[in-house]
Amino acid sequence: MLALREDSMVDRYQQYFEEIPAYLSIHDRNFRIIEANQRVRLDFGERIGEFCYRVYKQREEVCAECPVEMTFADGRCHWSEQLLITRHGRQTHVIVRTTPFRDEDGNIVSVMEMLTDISEAKKLQTLLERSQQHYAQLFEEVPCYISVQGPDLKIRDANRQFRETFGPAVGGYCYEVYKHRDEPCLVCAARLTLEDGQCRNSEEVVTSAAGQKINVLATTAPVFGPNGKPEAVIEMSADITQIRQLQSQLTSIGLLVGSISHGIKGFLTGLDGGIYLVNSGFANEDRARVEKGWDMVQRNVGRIRSMVMDILYYARDRELSLVDIDPAEVFADLESGLQKKAGDINTELSVEVAPHVGTFPGDAMAVRAMLINIIENSLDACRADRYKEHRFVKVNVRREPPYMVFEVEDNGIGMDRETREKIFSLFFTSKGIKGTGLGLFIANKIVDKHGGRIDVDSESQRGTRFLVRLPLEARPSVPLVE
Amino acid sequence: MSGVSAVSAGRKRVLVVDDDHDTLDYLSVLLGDNGYDVCTAADEPTAIARLADFSADAVIMDVMMPGRSGLGLLVKLRANPRWRDISVIVVTGDDRVLEDHGKSYLSSYEGMRGPEAVLGKPVDPQTLLRLLES
Repeated sequence: MLALREDSMVDRYQQYFEEIPAYLSIHDRNFRIIEANQRVRLDFGERIGEFCYRVYKQREEVCAECPVEMTFADGRCHWSEQLLITRHGRQTHVIVRTTPFRDEDGNIVSVMEMLTDISEAKKLQTLLERSQQHYAQLFEEVPCYISVQGPDLKIRDANRQFRETFGPAVGGYCYEVYKHRDEPCLVCAARLTLEDGQCRNSEEVVTSAAGQKINVLATTAPVFGPNGKPEAVIEMSADITQIRQLQSQLTSIGLLVGSISHGIKGFLTGLDGGIYLVNSGFANEDRARVEKGWDMVQRNVGRIRSMVMDILYYARDRELSLVDIDPAEVFADLESGLQKKAGDINTELSVEVAPHVGTFPGDAMAVRAMLINIIENSLDACRADRYKEHRFVKVNVRREPPYMVFEVEDNGIGMDRETREKIFSLFFTSKGIKGTGLGLFIANKIVDKHGGRIDVDSESQRGTRFLVRLPLEARPSVPLVE
Repeated sequence: MSGVSAVSAGRKRVLVVDDDHDTLDYLSVLLGDNGYDVCTAADEPTAIARLADFSADAVIMDVMMPGRSGLGLLVKLRANPRWRDISVIVVTGDDRVLEDHGKSYLSSYEGMRGPEAVLGKPVDPQTLLRLLES
């Protein structure tokens, strides 16, 4: 009776073994399959007695990390993911789990291996990975700066364009990376979005790792967590620097037109006056009046000429064409014209070029324009002075390595602090209708392009001293023209 | 250049104030040729000083002068009983003043009379002379 019951139990377990919806096989120490269930036989054939690696993988040697071998070695259960090849050549991903069978003395005599087919799950996983890769690629390659910040404003992720422009940003605070600030911005769009989950747009000026200022249109959007609350913020910034530059150029052109028309009104008044004096002088046979009128005409024609040169220089913004310049030659050329202007306004102009001053690399036309602008500015300052008996403009040129120094000193009306701080600003003028606000702006731009600098000392009613330093060595970026 | 030209009895007296010397020279010769006694000043303090001994019937002035901005001189004239009735003609290249005749500048001075006329530079001499005659 008992034997009968045991027999029926064995039958039942044998049936479970056969019917279980997984591959089940028993292996000996030599990796031979000593028993296998129906599914193994169905997909791999009647292979009892053969090596498992040959049956399951069509290999000729033991697999590198064999869970059966490991279970024989330590008596524990092991698992791993394996790729099987059925007798029909179909690849099947499986999870392999092993467990030891022991004899009465506790020795491991065989190992049972259960292989669960995970091909469908594996297929889904592959699709998921591909989809993730696809979105990661989109994130990486979007042609704008994208960063993801957590509630602490630390950057968790950044796309390629962001990393290339702002450096390896992940882990840094967004305000440090984006703006080189030590503390969060006063109005922080990212933080506001984290608080209320709303998208925001703002225009910002950010600084690249190389120190370049970039105008961006930034948009922030929340990244919601499982609880439905924003757990991070994604910030996308489009570079609008070129648009802003264009806008600024258009504004400048508008200002330039205003400035030119303003200047021309003044010159026309001077010309009208000169013509009136000349005509009425002839009519009255008053030679002194004719001469005075003719001086006015010449002076205002000269002013128009300088203004046109300034406008052309401003409009072209051309590259420098460097040659070796001898300051003595420059002044030999310029001095007579400047002396005439100085004489007309009863101002003494002295030019002193130190002996053996040598040459320096410069753009001849630009350097001339710069010197004329500065010296004429000084002459104008003397002309505007009504109180001094003796008015002068002194020009001194000397070599002070690494610079060629041009010092222009006058005892004209001088400047107050505000004027001094603004003299190099575009369209700033203290000369009322006779100024366009271009001359010193361009002079400064020319000196800057040469890698030099202008320093200004000035005191109201006392006079002004300009110190122009131009380098004796050309900057590597500006090649010397042979 | 600045100062008072020969004063003759019965001639109208005009003070010209402008920081541009060509304008001063031009207007003083033009007005002198047309029978006016002319005095010139290149800035506001000088203009005030000139008015002390030159009782002007009219002042021709620009609005942009060194050390001062806007219509400060006009405000000083209107505020002083001695000079209140002097006719003021503004001759300027400043578009804002040309457009609103200085109203925005004078808006903080309630009830203050603006300039009698505002002319743009370059000034038309006939218009200027006609205004001075009237």
